[in-house]
Amino acid sequence: MYEDNTNQTNPIARTRLWYVFLLLLSCLVLVRVFYLQVIQHDYYTSAARSGQFKEYEIPASRGIIEAHDGGRVVPIVLNEPKYTLFFDPLHIEDYQTTADTILAAVPSIAIDRADLLSMMQQDSRYVIVAKKLSEEKAEELTALELRGVGLREESQRAYPQGDLAAQVLGFVNDEDQGVYGVEQALNDALRGVPGELRAVTDARGVPLAANPENISVEPKQGSRVLLTLDVGLQKQLEDILESGLEHAGSDTGGALIIDANTGAIKAMANLPSYNPARFTEVSQEESHVFTNDLIASPLEIGSIMKPFTMAAALDSGVVDKNTTYYDPNQFTIDGATITNVAESSGVGIRSMEDILQLSLNTGATWLLKQMGGGEINEQARTTWHSYMTEKYFFGSKTGIEQGYEATGSVPSPVDGFGLNIQYANTAFGQGMTATPLQAAAAFAAIVNGGTYYQPRLVDAVSDNSGGNTQLIEPVVKKANIISPTASRDTRDLLLNAFSINYRTYGLDGLREGYDIGGKTGTAQVPNPEGGYYDYRFNGTFIGFVEGLDKTYVIIARVDDPSIGGYAGSTAAGPIFTQLAEVMIDSYGLQPKAQ
Amino acid sequence: MKNKRIRRTRSTVFGQDVGSRRHRPDYALGIISLILLSVGLVVVYAMSPGLSTLAQVEDTHFIYRQMLAIGLALVAFIIFARLPFTFWRTLTRPLIVVTLVALLATQFIGSGGANASRWVQIGGLSFQSVELLKFTLIIWLSGFLAMRQRNQELNDIQKTLKPIAIVLLVTGFVVAVLQSDLGSMGVVAAIIVAMLFVAGLSFRWMAVGLASVLIGGLVLIASSPYRQERVATFLNPQSDCLEEGYQACQALIAVGSGGLFGKGIDRSAQAYGYLPEAANDSIFAVLAEMFGFLGVVAVVGLFIALFTRMVRIIERAPNNESRLIVVGVLAWLSTQAFINIMAMVGLFPLKGITLPFISYGGTSLIFVTAAVGLVFNISRYTTYSVHDDMLSKRFLGKRKERRREDSTQRRRYGRTHYSHSLHRS
Repeated sequence: MYEDNTNQTNPIARTRLWYVFLLLLSCLVLVRVFYLQVIQHDYYTSAARSGQFKEYEIPASRGIIEAHDGGRVVPIVLNEPKYTLFFDPLHIEDYQTTADTILAAVPSIAIDRADLLSMMQQDSRYVIVAKKLSEEKAEELTALELRGVGLREESQRAYPQGDLAAQVLGFVNDEDQGVYGVEQALNDALRGVPGELRAVTDARGVPLAANPENISVEPKQGSRVLLTLDVGLQKQLEDILESGLEHAGSDTGGALIIDANTGAIKAMANLPSYNPARFTEVSQEESHVFTNDLIASPLEIGSIMKPFTMAAALDSGVVDKNTTYYDPNQFTIDGATITNVAESSGVGIRSMEDILQLSLNTGATWLLKQMGGGEINEQARTTWHSYMTEKYFFGSKTGIEQGYEATGSVPSPVDGFGLNIQYANTAFGQGMTATPLQAAAAFAAIVNGGTYYQPRLVDAVSDNSGGNTQLIEPVVKKANIISPTASRDTRDLLLNAFSINYRTYGLDGLREGYDIGGKTGTAQVPNPEGGYYDYRFNGTFIGFVEGLDKTYVIIARVDDPSIGGYAGSTAAGPIFTQLAEVMIDSYGLQPKAQ
Repeated sequence: MKNKRIRRTRSTVFGQDVGSRRHRPDYALGIISLILLSVGLVVVYAMSPGLSTLAQVEDTHFIYRQMLAIGLALVAFIIFARLPFTFWRTLTRPLIVVTLVALLATQFIGSGGANASRWVQIGGLSFQSVELLKFTLIIWLSGFLAMRQRNQELNDIQKTLKPIAIVLLVTGFVVAVLQSDLGSMGVVAAIIVAMLFVAGLSFRWMAVGLASVLIGGLVLIASSPYRQERVATFLNPQSDCLEEGYQACQALIAVGSGGLFGKGIDRSAQAYGYLPEAANDSIFAVLAEMFGFLGVVAVVGLFIALFTRMVRIIERAPNNESRLIVVGVLAWLSTQAFINIMAMVGLFPLKGITLPFISYGGTSLIFVTAAVGLVFNISRYTTYSVHDDMLSKRFLGKRKERRREDSTQRRRYGRTHYSHSLHRS
């Protein structure tokens, strides 16, 4: 051969040795790969799944909330996109630069550089940095194209009408649950049903294209809700309530207007209130501002109970409109004495008109006695109890579309101590509690001829885009809770009382062509430690204003006013009369033909 | 026509005697390489959507670049296959100069991964100088060792081992220390060791060399906390799946979840951002995920087939120099392939090395294919000898082909003609 290899080692033998080594190495590789791919396959498949397979909730778009504005419909709660900024620390390349870039782009996120750096070093694939960033900030951050920095869009409620009707609306918390108000009561409908996606994703969590293992369920979008509220009227009510409370020297109170012939609530508000867009800024101690006290805080309604007692007595036939009786100006029952206020005191013959106009406690007690055949007994108690609970629906929820509705309480007619004095008290609104809404709804039935309409806040429900609208018809919860005659007679008595007392409520004169009737209530504030405060009163006023074709019931409550006079007259009365005038002047209540 | 005939009868090329007449090359070598290139193209194509999304480039970015690289690689193959291998020897000095310039350029204007620059940008393509280094090393060392073999000075410390030790140390400093590319250093060392081994270095020196390589390796590992972590990670990858062991863990998940038949060509999820360097260093794991154990067997089988062809060419090389060239190329490809694959299946602690023919990335692809082109050219000049036959028969033999090669040799040297009947016996 050309080369002389005789003195050298054999290159071919050495090559073969090497070749055998390569073959052994490839056998080793194949054995190892077989072990990984066949024997350990299940282990690695589940490891792969746990890394790659992700489950997502596809959020359903929450339905918006609308309200009337005169003849138009306007949105009162909308959705706007907000962004959550998060880190995927695994993919952040340069901590320092990333932190600096973020801080330079959006200095307003107000996070310390050191905090950002520590977030980047967390042992997690999803570290939330900032929430509720605006769309503009999100766009700026997206434009930076930082690796390991992501934005997640979520929807947040927006309130084009500001803090209008805040307590009626409620808000949506961070867990996408409606709390308080309509948001809570109609949470399921508004929220819809979230869809879900289970899919193999890339490392950033973006689902990969069609994979047989992927499961996708489309969300059912939330419904759109049209409220019965009128935003213009609501605004007026809130203004009148605010000035009324200021006038009365109180900081707490509420008022609502309900259509007596449909149960639709036209306006409803309490003070103090809050801004639903900034509900997170309300401190724990102030969280009572979330509560719609008109439906959630029962109170002893006081003398506004007297029209109810009267209507029950008239309906049960124990008295009629023209009945007169001897009033001894005090009754002693179970050792306790029932008297009248100083201005109304006096022994003598009283009429039914007197009972409401003078707000006679003894008169209400006398009416209750008549239900028992002349004395307060079990018959009187059970009769009156059935009126309160089965006709006026005190003690049970009205079903209003609000979170945290309270029932109030009506004492049992047969169990307990001092039942007779307790029941005597209930005849003029003490010793029992009801929410102003319960009172208003029942009062509407008394003045409308006896039909109890379920009070409601929702006029229509549509699908998410506003199509497929279902109108909500008025619901008669119970017809003829009192007879038409009893209704008409009670109305007449209320009209009479108002026509005599209206100046006390700050009204200069009665309006031609309109029927306005109402009753004041002034109840001592119960002391949580038992009994009542001596000089603290809650004022209430309940009444109706009626024109040609509409009747509205208005109730106002003012808690613990400092103004002189009886709280029901001087504090709550003016709020009622102003609202009644608004209905006449601004809301198209036509006068009756003369 | 005339020219061609004359060339066929000549036994010298570029004035050097290659010891054999030119004949039909080993086409299998080219076919296997082409299949491996195609496999790489298919895998890169299949993972292209994920790659381009992550890199935020157009969908076609990676596949076009891979096609361009394969196109250039084929051109390189054709050039190397057509130019007689002896041509490169005449270029040894210029090659060394160019290589040194490239290494310097990499060091001063280069860019690269974690605190080391490994490539220079040329136009839109990046060039890894270490690939050129491997090629130059093989050309120089084959000539150098063949010369020492001729002079029977192979085991001479001064004349052979000292220069090689210097080369090893210098390249070691540049590649392992400056470029921090321990994987490539392993390949370079394997090339040198394999060429010395086949050239006939005494086992005594082999032992000394291996010992010093081991010690050097240990020193390198001990000198760098980064490498220590690598080793620790290798020994227990599951312990550190989120940080240093992340790539190792994700590679095992990709391989393991592939199963017997694979998830399917469009079903690799690990390529979508989970597995770092999915198209380059980790492409074997993605391949295993897509095509399963059967796919792995096929690819490993293709590599073994390629290596087998090369071993056959080594056995029949017309002279020591050409033999050593093939030995160097085989060492290059086999070491690189095994380091890459073994790293992906948790048998080796290194990463940062490409899988020949398959990994995305121009430089490696072009140089590897060119090197195979060189071997392909050498396969035109193979000769036949008796002891070849055992191997041929056992592993490779195709009588028909062999006969054609034999005839060239027989005429040249006038040796005994071995008849077919002898082979059969």
